[in-house]
Amino acid sequence: MKIILKQGRILDPSVEMDVVGNVIIEDDQLVEIGPDVPVEEDADVVIDCTGLWIAPGFVDPHVHLREPGDEHKETIASGTQAAAAGGFTTICCMPNTRPVLDNPAIIDFILDKAAAPDAGGVFVAPVGALTLGGNSESIADLAAMKRAGIVAASDEGFPIQNARIMSRALEICKELDLPVMVHSEDLTLSADSVMNEGAMSAMLGLRGAPRSAEEIMVMRNCLLSLHTGCQVHIMRVTTWGAVEMVRQAKYLGARVTCEIAPHNFCLTEEAVGEFDPRFKTTPPLRGRNDVDLLLQALADGTIDCVASDHSPHAAYEVEVPFDAAPFGMAGLESAAAVTFTELTHKGILSPLDTIRKLSTAPAKILKLDAGTLQPFETPVAQVTLIDPELEWNFDVHRTFSKGKNSPFQGKALKGKVLMVFCGSEIYRDAAFAPSREQVRLQLRS
Amino acid sequence: MSRTLLSIRHLEVPEIESLLQLSKEHKDRVLNGMPPAPAASRTIGLLFFENSTRTRVSFEQAANYSGYRVSNFIAEASSLSKGETLKDTIRTLRSERLDAVVIRHKSSGSAQLAAQFFGGPVINAGDGEHEHPTQALADALTILEHKGRLDGLKVAIVGDVLHSRVARSNAWLLEKMGADVRLVGPPNLLPAETGKLPGEFYQSLLPALQDADVVMCLRLQKERMMEGLLASVGQYRRGYQVNRETLMVAKDDCIVMHPGPLNRGVELDDFAADGPHSVIGEQVENGIYVRMAALSWVFGESLAPVKAKAAKVNA
Repeated sequence: MKIILKQGRILDPSVEMDVVGNVIIEDDQLVEIGPDVPVEEDADVVIDCTGLWIAPGFVDPHVHLREPGDEHKETIASGTQAAAAGGFTTICCMPNTRPVLDNPAIIDFILDKAAAPDAGGVFVAPVGALTLGGNSESIADLAAMKRAGIVAASDEGFPIQNARIMSRALEICKELDLPVMVHSEDLTLSADSVMNEGAMSAMLGLRGAPRSAEEIMVMRNCLLSLHTGCQVHIMRVTTWGAVEMVRQAKYLGARVTCEIAPHNFCLTEEAVGEFDPRFKTTPPLRGRNDVDLLLQALADGTIDCVASDHSPHAAYEVEVPFDAAPFGMAGLESAAAVTFTELTHKGILSPLDTIRKLSTAPAKILKLDAGTLQPFETPVAQVTLIDPELEWNFDVHRTFSKGKNSPFQGKALKGKVLMVFCGSEIYRDAAFAPSREQVRLQLRS
Repeated sequence: MSRTLLSIRHLEVPEIESLLQLSKEHKDRVLNGMPPAPAASRTIGLLFFENSTRTRVSFEQAANYSGYRVSNFIAEASSLSKGETLKDTIRTLRSERLDAVVIRHKSSGSAQLAAQFFGGPVINAGDGEHEHPTQALADALTILEHKGRLDGLKVAIVGDVLHSRVARSNAWLLEKMGADVRLVGPPNLLPAETGKLPGEFYQSLLPALQDADVVMCLRLQKERMMEGLLASVGQYRRGYQVNRETLMVAKDDCIVMHPGPLNRGVELDDFAADGPHSVIGEQVENGIYVRMAALSWVFGESLAPVKAKAAKVNA
């Protein structure tokens, strides 16, 4: 089987490539790429990519697949299908499931489920829990989990408060060459909080989390990275202070990176409106000033990558009073399009930098075989085809995720994922009409 | 047309005026011994997820005077404590053919959610730390009776503003009606950002009480000390107690209010609570009339049912 993506804008940040050309995928492998690659007559499928972007498959460092334990919110099958529809070919799944991802057997379970025929066909890179059961006290057998396939360790969902334990965990992970993804939240400062501490929380009579609850732990985690030498990835920065801490840590030479979720660069606390639980997340949606400075930090590179922080919930779980609702938003199927709409089309990021934040950077941070279009650099071809100009409205009723708790329901978006290859074709948008492609299917004998 | 009464923040000035006018008329009728309006055979569900004898009894009295029947749902005694969601509880009450729901709940925004699922008249009897609209109406009626107006009055609201639904509802109502609203309390008990709240914020008591026409005390919850938001009761008393001395800077004819229950000797002293300035008892009584008004208002009943009846007879 030979597929040719013809005359698209090839965006490959791994080699700073931004040219119009052709891409040849043959038998699950990306074999040729570039402006001078000929459109061979023997191709099975030729797809006219005029006006489209050809990018390395997106990489999402921060996804909650909910399985095992909360299959009513999401399963590995539904979550990976959602990932494919969102343009992702590799996703990292967070360890705060029930039970927690804290041993090699459960990592095997995740990888088996991800490879099952009903799954979405994307690579799932599990993230192991730093502590057993997320108890924040006893460090899990990270070496055994690394052998089983984890790409990082994290205290997601159970932020480690004790600096001594975090420091020990970082020493162990440094030894194992395992990046640590940290959930930076001082639980004593954020206690009882359900949104940002600000004018909105004061008006609504809701308990607010101060920015310091995030910033103090970002600072601690940066310093522990600096002193242990362990690679640390700060998940979800939401305040200018947190970004400044990361900037300083990088300046001092710490191996620190950070990510931002789309809702945090385009929504503010105002979105909570009249107690809408779809806008409840942690760290919370912040103020306009924070968003403006986060956009600057995205542009100047202090924020390394975009992560969906996909946190699906069942409908009944969010039909409750705001303070009783769970934290988190579904995001896999909107993340890329919101990034195109809010960052690329508004001139914050160039097309090449957009793809860097969505693919090459997170792949590099977590040392994943992804994030590049260079032939034979990844085990199988990982390619996402995008129409950057297509205008559409996001509709949760048409998503693959079980979680319909999106803050972007009805949002007008510009830029859409049309096709995704991860080895074979794993997703094709319904709007991507066959008239755009010239199919010359010749079954080879 | 039925309505909801969920917050003061969302009311227009004419709506507040008509609620206060209705309250006055209900009060006149009750005090003149007029019989309740012919029972409209309506049943009101009193849904109290949080204990509140005072507000519940006030709504019961309001319903009695207006000729409505009441069904009480108290959290400990019903399925409310059996893990049922608010949505399912409210839907059940709708199926039970209740005509209106009065809800008290610990979560801010819960009354609005209840209204969404009930689809008919809902009155907020206190939602978390958000609003308590009928308390603010009772306080406004009391002020009107003493001062004849709200516009231009200097009103100090004193105490734990951060956690107080009474403070929010009162501040919204008084500011909308043209009063000069001053909110004062210890820094830890004031919101960190106040840009979306009405009124001026003060951190010391005397400037806020200066020339005040009305002084409203807020109840100080004991748990605030456990949370470390308050160093000691003594410190609060010395800094923020409304008493014989601190009232000296207010107007001579100022009135002192408190939504109850009182922590006597903490928020206010005996002089403030029982002396010539106190109108605390009137606030409680006026609570009945504004809740009568709230009920007739949410049912979309017209003003002055007595006159309407007379007109009908003449016709």
